[in-house]
Amino acid sequence: MKNITKFCLMFLMVFTFASCENFIGGDINKDPNNPTSVPVSAQMPALTIALADNYGGMFSRFCSMLTQQVEGVARQWTSFNQYTGLAPNRFDSAWNNHYENTVNEIKIARTTAVDGGLNYYVGILDITEAFALMMATDVWDDMPYSEAFNGIATSSPAFDSQASIYDVIYTRLDSGLSSLAGAPGPATPGGDDVIYGGNTALWAKAAHAIKARGLLHQDNYSGAMAEAEMSFDSPSENMAFQYPDANNAGGWYRFNRDRTGDIEFHPTLRGIMTALQDTNRLKEIDQIFITDHTYMVPDFNQELITYREMQFVIAECAFRTGDSEKAHAAYLEGIKASFGRMGAAGYDEYIAQSDVDPGAGNLTLEQIMTQKYIAMFLQPEVYSDYRRTNIPELEPVSGSNVPVRWDYSSNEYLFNSNLTEGSVNMFTDRVGWNR
Amino acid sequence: MKKVTLLFAMFFVCVGMTFAQKTVTGTVADNEGIPIIGANVLVKGTVTGTITDIDGNFSLEVPSDAQMLVVSYTGFGTQEVDISGVSNVNVVLADGVVLSEAVVTALGIKRDEKALGYAVQEVNAEDITRSGATNPVDALVGKSSGIQVTRSSGSVGGGSRILIRGVTSMVGDNQPLIVIDGVRTNNDTNLSQGSTSGTSASNRLMDLNPEDIESVNILKGAAATALYGTAGATGVVLITTKKGATGGDSFDINFSSSVGFDQITQMIDLQDTYAQGSGGAYRGPYTGASGSWGPLVSELEYSTDPNHPDAPVATGSRIAFNPDGSYAWDKNGFLVPKGTGNGQAANVYNNVDDFFQTGVSLNNSLAISGGGETATFRLSLSDLRASGVVPNESYDRKTVKLASTLTPTDKFSMGGSVNYTRADNVRVQQGSNTSGLLLGMLRTPVSFDNANGFSAADAVDEVSSYQFANFNQRNYRGGGGYDNPYWVINNALGYDNVDRVFGNVKADYRFSDWIGFGINLGYDMASDRRKQDFEIGSRTNASGAILIDEFATKILDNNFNITGNGYLNDDINLSYLLGANTFSYKYNQSNVDGFGLTFPGFLDISNATSLTSFSNAFNYNTLGFFGQVEAGWRSMAYLTLSARQDYDSRLGDPTNFDLSKTGFFYPSASLALVFSEMMNNTGPLSFGKLRMSWAQVGSGPPNPYSTASVFVSPSIGDGWGDNIGFPISGVSGFDQSSLLGNNELTPELSTTIELGADLRFLRDRLGLDVTVYKTNTKDAILNASLAPSTGYNNVWLNSGEMTSRGIELTLNANPVQTSKFNWNTQVNFTKSESIVDKLAPGIERLFLAGFSTAGTYLVEGNQYGAIFGGAYLRQEAGTDTDTSLNIPGGPVVINDDPDSAEYGFEATDPTQRAIGNPNPDFIIGWNNTFSFGNFSANFLLDWREGGDLWNGTAWALSFFGRSQLTADTRVETPTPIEGVLSDGSPNNIPVVRDQSYWQSSLGGFGFVGEQFVQDGGWVRLREVGLSYRIPSVEWMKGGSIGVSGRNLWLKTDYDGIDPETSLTGTGNGQGFDYFNMPATKSVIVKLSLNF
Repeated sequence: MKNITKFCLMFLMVFTFASCENFIGGDINKDPNNPTSVPVSAQMPALTIALADNYGGMFSRFCSMLTQQVEGVARQWTSFNQYTGLAPNRFDSAWNNHYENTVNEIKIARTTAVDGGLNYYVGILDITEAFALMMATDVWDDMPYSEAFNGIATSSPAFDSQASIYDVIYTRLDSGLSSLAGAPGPATPGGDDVIYGGNTALWAKAAHAIKARGLLHQDNYSGAMAEAEMSFDSPSENMAFQYPDANNAGGWYRFNRDRTGDIEFHPTLRGIMTALQDTNRLKEIDQIFITDHTYMVPDFNQELITYREMQFVIAECAFRTGDSEKAHAAYLEGIKASFGRMGAAGYDEYIAQSDVDPGAGNLTLEQIMTQKYIAMFLQPEVYSDYRRTNIPELEPVSGSNVPVRWDYSSNEYLFNSNLTEGSVNMFTDRVGWNR
Repeated sequence: MKKVTLLFAMFFVCVGMTFAQKTVTGTVADNEGIPIIGANVLVKGTVTGTITDIDGNFSLEVPSDAQMLVVSYTGFGTQEVDISGVSNVNVVLADGVVLSEAVVTALGIKRDEKALGYAVQEVNAEDITRSGATNPVDALVGKSSGIQVTRSSGSVGGGSRILIRGVTSMVGDNQPLIVIDGVRTNNDTNLSQGSTSGTSASNRLMDLNPEDIESVNILKGAAATALYGTAGATGVVLITTKKGATGGDSFDINFSSSVGFDQITQMIDLQDTYAQGSGGAYRGPYTGASGSWGPLVSELEYSTDPNHPDAPVATGSRIAFNPDGSYAWDKNGFLVPKGTGNGQAANVYNNVDDFFQTGVSLNNSLAISGGGETATFRLSLSDLRASGVVPNESYDRKTVKLASTLTPTDKFSMGGSVNYTRADNVRVQQGSNTSGLLLGMLRTPVSFDNANGFSAADAVDEVSSYQFANFNQRNYRGGGGYDNPYWVINNALGYDNVDRVFGNVKADYRFSDWIGFGINLGYDMASDRRKQDFEIGSRTNASGAILIDEFATKILDNNFNITGNGYLNDDINLSYLLGANTFSYKYNQSNVDGFGLTFPGFLDISNATSLTSFSNAFNYNTLGFFGQVEAGWRSMAYLTLSARQDYDSRLGDPTNFDLSKTGFFYPSASLALVFSEMMNNTGPLSFGKLRMSWAQVGSGPPNPYSTASVFVSPSIGDGWGDNIGFPISGVSGFDQSSLLGNNELTPELSTTIELGADLRFLRDRLGLDVTVYKTNTKDAILNASLAPSTGYNNVWLNSGEMTSRGIELTLNANPVQTSKFNWNTQVNFTKSESIVDKLAPGIERLFLAGFSTAGTYLVEGNQYGAIFGGAYLRQEAGTDTDTSLNIPGGPVVINDDPDSAEYGFEATDPTQRAIGNPNPDFIIGWNNTFSFGNFSANFLLDWREGGDLWNGTAWALSFFGRSQLTADTRVETPTPIEGVLSDGSPNNIPVVRDQSYWQSSLGGFGFVGEQFVQDGGWVRLREVGLSYRIPSVEWMKGGSIGVSGRNLWLKTDYDGIDPETSLTGTGNGQGFDYFNMPATKSVIVKLSLNF
């Protein structure tokens, strides 16, 4: 009996220990549903759509609200509209989408692309990063960049000045252009490039457009004009993401569907357009913000940077550098492209008004910027234009100032020791290029 | 245990039974001749019996063939007396072995209670079934010290959360391990959607029929649960199920049937005077206006005149008139100022109270059991059909359980059980969800009738109450906003179908006292198939959606052990245990969501135009080796030592596996001193014991896959509308998870010291059990937050420290014990707190659940799960006395900037603060049972002191002007709010807290959350019951009929639904009420018969 006991014990012990390694190790702790590495072609659509969705989401909503194109009228949006509700936590999703879902992804994808010698991917990622950095620093000024994206290794990344971030932007654009001009490497982008379907010539034009936008912010008018002229030749070349349908709908459509009544068209923009008898365009955009809105459609074309913006850049820069003929031609081309974008008829009748087209000699900066303000409906760039030019003149909704920048995210305040709460005054702390 | 059962049986036994044919009389005394009052006298093998009177006398009518009486009394040895041929007996009971009863401890080991150096408390079958609760977790409320039970939702089939000694783990599941017949059993709550929305969900222990429970033992501290290792760190609920009786040939059939009626307990105080509108002006449904800031309803009347100056005009897709020219939103017409319409005064519609119905539950169960000398069996069947207080909600449960044992020799025994449960639920959407039932219901202004003129009962089935012919919704916001409640219960239902099989097979072979083998193999498989429908036109999924989730959980728990015990010499008793355990947990969620339904009326995935899907696994294995030695000295002192070595797959790095990194070791020790045994004369003290223990428990990460970073298919969006997900336009996408993996993780370790005393007086008629404990947790693995600029949001980190301490008291008394009347009373007192000492570096708080305005967090220096959110600015904010995240001292500062839209209101503190503590200060359960003849009665008072709830319902309803609070404050005389101006002088700015106030940062959806933190404590009559014992007759072995009530009386300061609620269900983030489903009170009538 004793022997049987011993045998049983030994057998069980050996059996147990032998299977121990397999029972605890093996693939049991490997996530079966989520890979530990992916190819760049799997990452690029996600980061690009995250960027476009952030630009057409929080960026568009807040920038259009602050520039009084749209008005927060219900629930939380009432207090945002009054500026009182713009607490740091309201910037969490925009900030997080920028860092975690866009630029960190670009960093990882770019490393994969560089390792694989995928030069076109590297170029596209560089240009995409430049766009993302500019849209962010234009509202947040100084931001973590050089020490960012290191995970726990640098848990409190330092804040870089806006000027240094603009330097990075131009470096990325230049290196992006040179990558696209070289050999493609073993694989080229196609359907995984949700902006241009792998058309590198259009990416190069977009790089020039982004550069034009940046130089304009920095009051480099001749530089901006030169870059703008190297950019898009028609609206069909716009850098944009096309949302497919109601199931994966554009940001404004989703907002209007799920937050019906929170935001409506703003009386300020309505007043400006009515005064200019801009009835045809107004009809296309001044509707209740519901799913039936004919501009904020499910299959929205989310533009990141456009032909018409470039025309207005040329118009403004030519005007400021004294070339009124060029300014006039670009001004009208910009308005015309806007009529096209909104699907409005009656462009010829509209510009026949002297208020709209006073002739090349009489064109004013106010007219150029006002038409850009209308033409860029819902484009976050309007907020930069307003801060640069103060056109159109806006009555603050409360207090005596329209906010001139955004506050940082509450999560950054909480978890980055380089940032102290209350250090930002949204009403007075202008961003670097705006000082 | 048996004795307790007998005791209960005695209480119900009638003194004179009609079928008895012989009378036996006698006296019962102790060995000094002193009469024993209330001794149990029972005819052996039956439930016929009585209790001795004040002189120790008894008189009992017994069947003529009765042979033996069994006489017993607590604290004395039980004695059997031969009554064949005699009619008078005098019984002398000897001072017996006090507490010879064994208690069930870890791994099902029966141990002499006095040998235990730690606290264990038992709840018996009668206490469980008497409660009337269909969820075994709910049945435990108030029955033991150290436990806290919170029912999450009043939805029928909604789950409950149980905690033993508060929280133990910082982010892991804090609910105790559930062990049924020695094997670990699934008590998960699977959520199909985010924790703040979707439908209520069941906790899986609900699959166990409470009638199958023989006893429940609560193992509270680390020493008690040491043999369970990591899994037992949160305490163990040890459930023993009923088996057939051994000994003699027996065959019993028990049938019981009950019917219960449920109603909601209480509702938030809503105003019923002001109509829909804004700024005092009426705005009708066709305007889409969200609030009830209109004029007094009494100042409005109806009009049907389309030429009336206030006649509604259609805006956008919101119609005003039907094609036949009638007003679309109210059959009485549209509302106009009094005197300008047709003279018919505007109605005040009750959209809330009328909506809820009386839920009815029918519960039938049948158990057949029997046994002989070597084998037993028990087969039980049950069928529960419950309809909810919300029309169309239901919960049906069917269970089958078979248990059998075989003991062919006195050395070998084996047994097994199998339980099959089928549960079918129909649920409605709740919480923070535009289809949430109460969200739309409570926001509806009193000037709008959700039922469109029908009675509530008729509106349920009347499509025209909630929908127009063109499928647009008929709701108070012109079709926008939120679903009409009647639309929800017809078109946005969730269905769960659960199939569950669990059970065990065990075998024991005992070679000798000193060596025996035992093996127990347990399995538990659950499949939970869910489907949530959103018909076209849903405010959550406008184009319709079908969300399908299938949760499959499989647990295998195998124990092997070697045990032995015996006396080393006359004084020292020794027992030991060596064991090994393998545990495997596999969970898989398969999800398919279909959106964009092609046509209405066909709610099936095949009708969807776009599909998304994902699969989510959660698998881990653990392996443990453990040993325990117990040494007893002269029944006076007992020392127990145990140790365990665990290996946990969750610590393994899949890319570079190292077994040694997954292993960890921890010991425990406990000591019991029965000091009453050491004393010659104990006076009134009949038993006294001191307990002390020290134990460590290690644990792996709360989740598998924490050791590596992964890529996920992201969902893209910003929280202001539904996210979009891949594939998009046929392209798939991946991004790096925001959660950074960490292959440096080590086990977390908690150390517990526990001291206790068990004191019993007056022959155990009075007992007091006290326990104090303290647990320190170190290296807790936290999902630490990172600044987004690091590229990630979270990382798993060994960093947390927490201290838990508490005191538990149980007072048992038997104040009255006579032959006619018996009263037993038990008070359970629980006080525990867990203070978060440290989080991750640079991290002051950690999110658990909730919203951005108010969420539950771990906050350094605060109690676990503090409610954290926006606060008023205090005078001392930013000064030296401002201790970071707590509300600073000093009066509230008033906004005195005349340009501000919030001039004269409270200023807001830019820093979010700890604004509430959801943990109760203490919990008292006072449990009473009375018996008099064949009648017995019971009541249980449940007192929970403190425990904050964030009343998000009141928060949101203040914005909409629907709460009574807003009706009162909008007409108050302008008064300065209490506080100081920025220069410190008293506030002198009079304001009226009207719409502008409640829609500012201080009101609903505003930044400040502290004004809606309310005391969620209560005193309630948790249980009350009366039952009659039906005496046995020849064809029936007796039975009972009774009526009981649950939650019939509730007293609370909370302005809302019953504060026993949790938006986030059974998870760690407690203390939230945001349009939660109201809790219910019940009356249950039950008949039970034995054959």
